[in-house]
Amino acid sequence: MTKSKAYIGFITPGFILYTVFMIVPLGFAIYYSFFSWSGMGAMDFIGFDNFKRIFFEPRMSGIFRNALGNNFRYMAIAIFVFIPIQVGMAYLIHLKVHGHNFFRLMIFLPYVISPSIVGFFTLLVFDPNIGMLNTLFLTLGWTNLVSAWFGSPDIAFFLLVGVIGWNGLGVGMVIILANMKNIPEDVVEASIIDGATVWQRFWRVELPFLQPSIINVVVLSSIFALTQFDIPFIVGGLNGGIDGKLDFLNLMFFRYTFGDAYFGETALGFGAAISVVVFSIIFMIALVQKLVFNRLFNR
Amino acid sequence: MYKRRQGFGSWIAVIVLTLYCLIAVVLIGNMIISSFKTKQDLLFNTFGFPAKISLENYRQIFVTDSLYKNFFNSVILTMLSIASLVFISSMSAYGLSRYRFKGRQALEMYFLLGLMFPIQIAILPLFIIMRSLNLTNTFLGMILLYTANMSFSLFIFSQFFKELPDALHESAIIDGASELTIFWKIMMPISKPVIFTVMTVSFVQIWNDFYLPLVFLAKRSLHTLTLAIYQYLANFLAYWNFVFAAATFALIPVIIVFLVFSDQIISGLAAGSIKE
Repeated sequence: MTKSKAYIGFITPGFILYTVFMIVPLGFAIYYSFFSWSGMGAMDFIGFDNFKRIFFEPRMSGIFRNALGNNFRYMAIAIFVFIPIQVGMAYLIHLKVHGHNFFRLMIFLPYVISPSIVGFFTLLVFDPNIGMLNTLFLTLGWTNLVSAWFGSPDIAFFLLVGVIGWNGLGVGMVIILANMKNIPEDVVEASIIDGATVWQRFWRVELPFLQPSIINVVVLSSIFALTQFDIPFIVGGLNGGIDGKLDFLNLMFFRYTFGDAYFGETALGFGAAISVVVFSIIFMIALVQKLVFNRLFNR
Repeated sequence: MYKRRQGFGSWIAVIVLTLYCLIAVVLIGNMIISSFKTKQDLLFNTFGFPAKISLENYRQIFVTDSLYKNFFNSVILTMLSIASLVFISSMSAYGLSRYRFKGRQALEMYFLLGLMFPIQIAILPLFIIMRSLNLTNTFLGMILLYTANMSFSLFIFSQFFKELPDALHESAIIDGASELTIFWKIMMPISKPVIFTVMTVSFVQIWNDFYLPLVFLAKRSLHTLTLAIYQYLANFLAYWNFVFAAATFALIPVIIVFLVFSDQIISGLAAGSIKE
């Protein structure tokens, strides 16, 4: 490293842009959350009223708890279902099963498909009238399998989670796969010589080496889970789908902040309060995860 | 490396993975095939091959709906944003990782905060800031946003710059090169592989981005391809034969870029996420 003042020149442009468009807005969100403000005209300072409304007003707190619950449910599925699947897929590719290069490419492929097109595919598969599944079941005569899919409150959420998972699983998988390449070969070979089965080798020898990437995927998936917007919005619409089953915090935020055309009001102060709640939750989850990981792995 | 395992279990795994991958093949294949069907054909023969190949849907989306304008919007916006992002984030990363100064580590942490808080989360104040700067409904505003959202690229560049030997810089100084010349003439050329990684990863992210254009590009003439496809979807029942053609047209460039540069995209995303 060099000692020279030149770094100031290199860093300043990026620093200004990053500060103005990334950091300042975070600060302003906190400031606005204490006001009642439609975005134009007068701003009335109302203290914690926006937050009280989110947490305690009967109707609003119901909407909030439902959306937050969906975010958490999605996060739990991402951590306890998707990550094992991602590890499993990565491991098969790592073991070089037949066609492993093709699988790596194809599992990752959905990630490059834009959310609008993912929404279109969802419609094609699950639409009750023209969708592939119902058409298939009717053709085969399996009429008891015909379903309203996203129109059915019992399964809509899980279908959505499946669609989001299909779209994004590949990212976590390649992160874990890259980590597998760093497992020292001599350790693995020693375990093979000692007669470890594939299962033992995976659980006892290889899995511990994957700790850094799995922790990373847990953290990334959690942030992703708490900031869900695109696919729920495109598939379920602004109101959060049937019975609010597809509602998420960011959707709720968007509805009350920019949804003027639909609800006849823009409540920017209230919207700001929702976003402050969202990033406080992200912050707390990140903190809790860090503490848990430190405790678990004595880091 | 390991012996290739071909036991019974591995065949089951291969079959399961194949079925999983078939989802994408069927969906994309069906979309392309259906894009050549007339509305009548689509109605009665939803999932088969077209009775007669028709280019009517494509004529409609290009000539009547001018979807190529949205395509050019996406191309211009993505290219300029990537150029600006690579330029600014590499400079900042270089300043942060090649110079010694007080508060360097704190500043680096500051720049990486964006990995934890995605730009969407403060969209509202961002909207107010953009509006007061007259940057809503402008490509300039979008380019600035995509550039400001630089934590990931900055991280990738920093990892690379930190590995470079000090001698590179010292010998150039002795030769009388200025700091800017060193960056531009020595550092940038050897960073080509990293630049490329950042470019391909940001291409996928910016090209497909839905949220920022939705909020900041309300004006129809500025809509990106992703937004245009969303508009078709919103009126799905009226236009469903066109959606196939429009989605095919939007997806093909990304698939091509992905197939050609899959190694860079995949290793880039993985590299940016493994921190010690």
